[in-house]
Amino acid sequence: MALLRRFEPVIRSTIGDKFYPMDVEPYVRACSLWVQRPGEQAVCVVRGGKLSLDRLAQQPRDEAGAVHFLKFTDEDDLGPNARGRRLFRRRAIDRIQARQAFKAGRGRLARVGYFSRFVDALYSIALLARGRVPGESAAAASVAYERIMAENEHYRYHGRVVRQDGWIVLQYWLFYPFNDWRSGFFGANDHEADWEKVFVYLSESEEGEVKPEWAGYAAHNYTGDNLRRRWDDPEVDKVGEHPVIYVGAGSHASYYAAGEYLTELPLPLPRPLARVTYAVRSFWKTRLGQYMEDEESGESGYFSIPFVDYARGDGLSVGEGGDKTWDEPRLITDPPPEWVSGYRGLWGLYARDPFEGEDAPAGPMYNRDKSVSRAWYDPVGWAGLDKVPPPPETLQAILEQQADITSRCHALRVEIDVKSRQLKKLGTELAAMRDRSHLDAPYGEASRRVSQLSGEIDRLRSRLAADEAVSESLEEYARRLKGGERDPARAHISRAHRPASEDELKFSRVAEAWAAVSVSLMLISFVGIVMFQREHLISMLVFSIAFFTFVEAGFRGRLIHVISSANVGLAVVATLIIVYEFFWQLVIAAVLVVGLYVLWDNLREIRR
Amino acid sequence: MEPGKTSYRAVRAIGVLLILQVIGLVVLGGYEFLQVDWRGIELRGLQHRSVEAAVFALFIPSAVLTLLAALSFLLLHRRGWLLAAAAQGLSLAVCLWLYALFQPGYVYPVMVYCVLMILYLNTRDVRMVFQSRKRHGVPREN
Repeated sequence: MALLRRFEPVIRSTIGDKFYPMDVEPYVRACSLWVQRPGEQAVCVVRGGKLSLDRLAQQPRDEAGAVHFLKFTDEDDLGPNARGRRLFRRRAIDRIQARQAFKAGRGRLARVGYFSRFVDALYSIALLARGRVPGESAAAASVAYERIMAENEHYRYHGRVVRQDGWIVLQYWLFYPFNDWRSGFFGANDHEADWEKVFVYLSESEEGEVKPEWAGYAAHNYTGDNLRRRWDDPEVDKVGEHPVIYVGAGSHASYYAAGEYLTELPLPLPRPLARVTYAVRSFWKTRLGQYMEDEESGESGYFSIPFVDYARGDGLSVGEGGDKTWDEPRLITDPPPEWVSGYRGLWGLYARDPFEGEDAPAGPMYNRDKSVSRAWYDPVGWAGLDKVPPPPETLQAILEQQADITSRCHALRVEIDVKSRQLKKLGTELAAMRDRSHLDAPYGEASRRVSQLSGEIDRLRSRLAADEAVSESLEEYARRLKGGERDPARAHISRAHRPASEDELKFSRVAEAWAAVSVSLMLISFVGIVMFQREHLISMLVFSIAFFTFVEAGFRGRLIHVISSANVGLAVVATLIIVYEFFWQLVIAAVLVVGLYVLWDNLREIRR
Repeated sequence: MEPGKTSYRAVRAIGVLLILQVIGLVVLGGYEFLQVDWRGIELRGLQHRSVEAAVFALFIPSAVLTLLAALSFLLLHRRGWLLAAAAQGLSLAVCLWLYALFQPGYVYPVMVYCVLMILYLNTRDVRMVFQSRKRHGVPREN
């Protein structure tokens, strides 16, 4: 407990956010428990107000495919009765307040391309057909949350301490009653209940002294190395020994720095198409020496759905030096309490969304499919720290690895020695058989064995050389560590999630307006062309697509990219036409060129 | 941001090639016009040859763009690349459109020249000369 409190985080939310980390107990008390069996209507198992953490874990076994879930928002609150009217009024007030408090800033749509906006429109339309959290739920959850806070205002996290692979992992599980990212902040989804996590990794010296080494904040799809930051990384903002988390408005994703994060969900190409694209791109780049835009930017993928996470840190802050202080945390001990290990259901409404974005999450220990989550059973591997020994163990790990390599080198040398002798003997045998026609067959066999053995020895020597080089670098690495030098703090990060820069946010109002209307405008113009310009259908469609593409490129500062791509497309078509029209002339010209080249080459040889 | 001194030669070479292209277009256009017996044209049924020569006028905007691009390249202005690329694209688009309608003989040499120019303009060495602004931390291209 003392360790948890010593390094407990400070959370900084965004103005407009309505939900903060709370204790699970009053939440569960306010919920009803339901079960959804396949092909049946959901059935209420425990009514609201009757549920407790103990009772939550005591659920009977159920048939395969059944989903247990909690319901935080009351259906009565959504109905056309007095409470419903109150809620309607409340929702209107909420909207006005939120509009006054939260300004979305320069838009997510203006930051991404046409196709992404088109996919985004389809995604929004698909929400109508998919299972989703009802529109009133956010307001109802807000009412219920305020009721709980009015009874007992509290800000609480759930703490767990785990030892794994020499690390002490402090797990801070933050529970929010509702995720209103979609309805409140133009995000991807809404769902009841939201479990977020922040881990702090400590090393322990032989004297028992602990030192924070790494922090890992959970945010959307980030896993592994990109998720964690070293404690001395300037990006990890701290108040004393408390790491600061900038919480995404509505989504509650955790970030290291304040700002607006463009979260793009990349949609990969189907595998065969990706292979063809790769082959064409490498021919274009390496054979033709052509420039490719993503050489420098490292961009890949062809389109994505954009969402913005507003983690501005200008709202309520909880923790050391904040507006509110943490209440005594609820400990998750080992073995875990029943409400953690015994309840595998969802912690909020099961919306039956095939993409799962609108379904509530499972508890800290489980995934939605009831399997145990990696963050629970392998918190070290979850942040990619499983390959990193704690600093007090690093030198020992280097020595052990060096010893392994040394013994491997020794074994390799012995093997090389034996095989070299064997090769020499075979070589002499081969020399003895040369020019003896009656020994042609054994000579052939011996040559094959010689070349096989020679190749084998070559591979062994190459492995030995590599191992020796690795051993040297390990030695040098150990020397540097002993001298107090450390690796660069961000060497492990391949794709850091960073907030949008000032430059990226500089969109003019015209660009914003264009981003908002362009997809609809394009569709309307297509319909207009099909209805009124059928005789010039193809040329008008080409013209309108070119028009929209160039205007878009102008706004997005990608005119050069678009022009060069269009040129390449036109050049390919023109080349095909020329090949089609002048095929035989081109064949003759090619033969002539080859003939002249050979002639020139031979004459040059004579002149030498 | 202007191109570096080391790349002056490549940039000037493109300028010369673009001027050659303009000269080529003017010569080709002039030749096409001289082939037509303008006085003998029947306005009611325009002969194919006259139409081909007349539509050559569609190359005028791209020729003007090409000339501007050539001057930009010779004066080592960064915008030259964009103008040159736009001019080549426009020329090729006109060629393809004319090919679809009349298949006049002059479109083929123009097509070949444009394709080669596009490939040259898009080579890594040439593009890198004009990427200097981006590499110096200005993310937007234009």
